[in-house]
Amino acid sequence: MKRKVDARWVLHLLLGVGGLIMIVPFVWMILTSLKSRADIAAYPPNLLPDEWVWSNYQAALDYAPFGTYFRNSLLIAIGHTVINLMLATMAGYALARVPFRGRTVVFMAVLAMMMIPTYTKIVPQYLIAKGMPFFGGNDYLGRGGYGWLDSWWVLIVPGALTPFAIFLFRQFYLSLPRELEEAARIDGMGEFGIFARVMTPLVKPAIATVALVTFENSWNNFLWPLLVTTRDDLRVIQVGLAAFQLAERTEWSYLMAGSTLATVPMIVLFLFAQRYFVQGFATAGIK
Amino acid sequence: MTSTLESVSVASASRAPRPPRRRRKLGAERRRAAYLMLAPSVIHLIWWIGIPVVATFGLAFTNYDVIAGTVEWAGLDNFREIFADDIWNLSIWHTVVFTFFTVPVAMVIAVIIAVLLNQRIKALAWYRAAFFMPHITATVAIALVWMWMFEPNLGLFNLLLDWVGVNGPAWLSDPDWAMPAVILVSIWKGIGLKMLIYLAALQNIPHDLYEAADIDGASGVRKFFAITLPMLRPATFFVFIVSMIDAFQVFDQVYVLTPDGGPANSTTVMTYEIYRTAFGEFDISAACAQSVVLFAFLLVLTVIGRRLTGKDGDEA
Repeated sequence: MKRKVDARWVLHLLLGVGGLIMIVPFVWMILTSLKSRADIAAYPPNLLPDEWVWSNYQAALDYAPFGTYFRNSLLIAIGHTVINLMLATMAGYALARVPFRGRTVVFMAVLAMMMIPTYTKIVPQYLIAKGMPFFGGNDYLGRGGYGWLDSWWVLIVPGALTPFAIFLFRQFYLSLPRELEEAARIDGMGEFGIFARVMTPLVKPAIATVALVTFENSWNNFLWPLLVTTRDDLRVIQVGLAAFQLAERTEWSYLMAGSTLATVPMIVLFLFAQRYFVQGFATAGIK
Repeated sequence: MTSTLESVSVASASRAPRPPRRRRKLGAERRRAAYLMLAPSVIHLIWWIGIPVVATFGLAFTNYDVIAGTVEWAGLDNFREIFADDIWNLSIWHTVVFTFFTVPVAMVIAVIIAVLLNQRIKALAWYRAAFFMPHITATVAIALVWMWMFEPNLGLFNLLLDWVGVNGPAWLSDPDWAMPAVILVSIWKGIGLKMLIYLAALQNIPHDLYEAADIDGASGVRKFFAITLPMLRPATFFVFIVSMIDAFQVFDQVYVLTPDGGPANSTTVMTYEIYRTAFGEFDISAACAQSVVLFAFLLVLTVIGRRLTGKDGDEA
């Protein structure tokens, strides 16, 4: 019995030390964001702030438009999540529950698209966005202007649907019993009604998982917004942070305040909905 | 309940040679609804994934002039051009080095953490959250924090090294230390997801295996090597392949920590070169050729992974 208790302590010690090492960057980020300029330049550095400068956050927001960046990221992440849920549930349902010719081909295509790496499509995606006809000064062939570049369209539309979401919903709809839809059909319900009112309420765990993973990926996305936006008022927070760092290399407390704003929403969301995150990432195994 | 039974019998009747008219009409209606529900997704996927993928391969074998808008066949010229570029070849080497050090180290740490977490202990969710947090937070934001920690004079690393009497390097601006620094950040960030997949796999190992080992008086370490690791083999292959594919596409932390390919191009990777070729030099065709090379690497890795996993399944 005593040996077992000791082993438990060793376990907690190992995990505690390991976990602490993992969160050191987060702690250091928050501590730095609360230090005064003199405090940051002090040598040797202090671990804790001399005085806790909470006004750094307000100062950072005044110094760079982090508020705008934050709002942009939030709007885009919500947009992606809503659109992905709407389109992918419908597609997943159709692929799972309705037999039609070519269904297997469509499903295999979705699977193949899941495995396409970002860099096998990103350059033409950029060209397509730039050549969008009738937008941004383009003619009907998509020439002459900037198309969708530097617009809300390009930030929201291309990344709004993921093959992974379709795949996950298809698997969930597939597992529902056939009797449910048959009963609803006898009651005179149409196919869309069965989808929306009978089946979709039963795949709530999948909805939660897809919503969280989509939101997270959208919030953290960097490369696409970096490529397609140059206007400051359209920057998302990740791109805004990188730009701020290049411009103001030494404003570490503002930079850390900005980083805190960019990471804390995801951390809070994760801590509240850990179960769904874990489920989603463990079953998918992919980002 | 009666209606359910009836519907089942109707459904089986529909498989008879001459289906009743009502069923056939219903089938057509359902198909129409399905097409409507699928249409937006299919259009979106073709538009933003299907066409771009085909275009990448097409452009890699042509000369595309962005400004004039002309396209002409170029055969393998683009590939000759990119492999004549020393920096591109260097970037392939850096990608391999990055992957070689990042993936195995993160995997070893992840499997150990997963085994430790797979016990019935208090505060499990908190420990798991601590290890998983780096994965869900934005790479850019957290890379900036690491950049601050790597700061040569005021950063946390050199402060700690100073305490133990070591003169720390300039890290990100030192050509010898920039890549190790990027690798360290990537290992830290990569542990979480691997741990989670291992944790899910561990829960599928039957308990009686361990009970049998307990009866034989096996030690914890012995059980780990004799039961846990062999049972985790499919998961290990899966994690390995997914991580390799991820590591080959590393971009965000490299871009933020070591801008412009790092000191003396010491951290430039394939994705960064694609980015530079396409959006710095606007040489679209060469960038697509580079993308095809990256794709070929990923394809080979995936095929090897499939083979290994498949074989493993046959043996079992």
